[in-house]
Amino acid sequence: MNRKLFLCTLALTVLLPLTLLLGSRLPGRWYYLTATALLLEGMVPFFLSFESRRPQARDICTIAVLSALAVAARTVVVIPGYRPTMAVVMIAGIALGPESGFITGAVAALASNFFYSQGPWTPWQMMSYGLGGFLAGVLVPRLFPGKRSWELALFGFVCILTVVGPVLDASTLFTVSSRLSLSYAAAVFAAGLPFNLRHGFAVGLTLWLAGRPLLSRLERIRRKYGILSRDNN
Amino acid sequence: MERDVFSRCHPLTGFVYFFCAICFCAVVRHPMYLAAGFLAGLFYFLLLHGEAGMKKLPGMVPFLLVVAALNPVLNPRGETVLFTLFGRPYTLEALVYGVVLAGMLGTMLVWFGCFSTVLTGEKIVYLFAPIAPALSLVLVMTMRLIPSFQRKLARLAGARRCIGFGLEEQTRWRGKLRCGAALLASLTDWALEGSIITADAMRARGYGTGKRTHYRAYRLSARDGMLLGLTLGLSTAAVTFGGMQAEFLPSVSMERPGWGLAVYCLLLALPVLAWGKEELQWRWCIRRI
Repeated sequence: MNRKLFLCTLALTVLLPLTLLLGSRLPGRWYYLTATALLLEGMVPFFLSFESRRPQARDICTIAVLSALAVAARTVVVIPGYRPTMAVVMIAGIALGPESGFITGAVAALASNFFYSQGPWTPWQMMSYGLGGFLAGVLVPRLFPGKRSWELALFGFVCILTVVGPVLDASTLFTVSSRLSLSYAAAVFAAGLPFNLRHGFAVGLTLWLAGRPLLSRLERIRRKYGILSRDNN
Repeated sequence: MERDVFSRCHPLTGFVYFFCAICFCAVVRHPMYLAAGFLAGLFYFLLLHGEAGMKKLPGMVPFLLVVAALNPVLNPRGETVLFTLFGRPYTLEALVYGVVLAGMLGTMLVWFGCFSTVLTGEKIVYLFAPIAPALSLVLVMTMRLIPSFQRKLARLAGARRCIGFGLEEQTRWRGKLRCGAALLASLTDWALEGSIITADAMRARGYGTGKRTHYRAYRLSARDGMLLGLTLGLSTAAVTFGGMQAEFLPSVSMERPGWGLAVYCLLLALPVLAWGKEELQWRWCIRRI
């Protein structure tokens, strides 16, 4: 539909395999840079489609507020190690649609790293948080049209355990491994499992308790002011 | 901070420099290069952070030790067997490689620490605003809202404490979680209302009606040109001189570093050298008064 978007997609279909080919040919630890480059290229279509939609002031403000809420939710320290960030991102995805969910997640990850510290994990965090928001936007309305509390909680838990957590662990895998092998991957993912379980539990619990109240508030604002209405169909 | 040349430069200069430095640190495995990169990064990190930086560093040591010790467990190749663990050989070469890996990781973390301090959020936004105006705006608004929300959360928690619903008074997890959820919900209400007001103000002032311009806080100066030229020139020279190949498995072998190492050291010590030059110049100026 959009010329810029079309050109970008075309460029990526050439660029992605090229990066992969070049990365697999180079010896040594190039796979770390290759993986990061692939990840960044993978995020470009999301960002570009957001840009090319020419978002209105209300869309921009809502996404910024939800990203900031997701980061600030970390300071509602109820239990040590409790991270409800992803819960807010998923709510954003469900209420505003997959694309806005991705942007919310990615911006939340990037912005929170400006407050803590940037590191080799930044692009991976952006991708995993973004994917969480995106998947929530795609799957929840189709799988659970009723959006009951336990359904949201279940989705949050499973999504963290199968997508968000493993993508974060992949960042560890690429940074610490001496070569890409099955045993390395198994070790890293096994070591990450307790953290992912705890993370998933925290997100599920937050969605169970606060999911419906937040959703109804967002829904009300969306219906009242018509924010991001094009995005949802 | 104030004396750091890259902090005062155009964001592009800093971004290109850190991009080159971190890419080298992520890829080069030669121990001598690694040591040079780590020392240069550490020195820069301490210059930037001072006393506080000293306290941040020990936290990453246990993690690095685990990475170093773990490599031989998962990677059984190598010629010199030290002992067998779980029926698999634990080799010296793999251990050496593990130490190198941990060193690379430590180097990257130190350099990323410098990156975070030098290229702050507003500089990154400034850099990407012409390419992605809407996204940069979202990012900059998010970064402004986070501290504001944290303050609001503290106020909300205080208000709830006054009516006997404080987080601290809840002894059971259930109560704590309910309390947290209530805080989050009321913050959301307040924040969404605020967002509509902001959006209406933006629209009233004509957001989206024309091309978005932005204030040019930085200009590319001759110094930026020189630093950019040095960064790119030294990077290219380091790659062409080579001598940074090293293999660890199955046996340790590495190239003899020649001029490449000198160029590499110069590249990574660039911020520290620039800092020293400024410092000397300043001292010299003061003495002349």
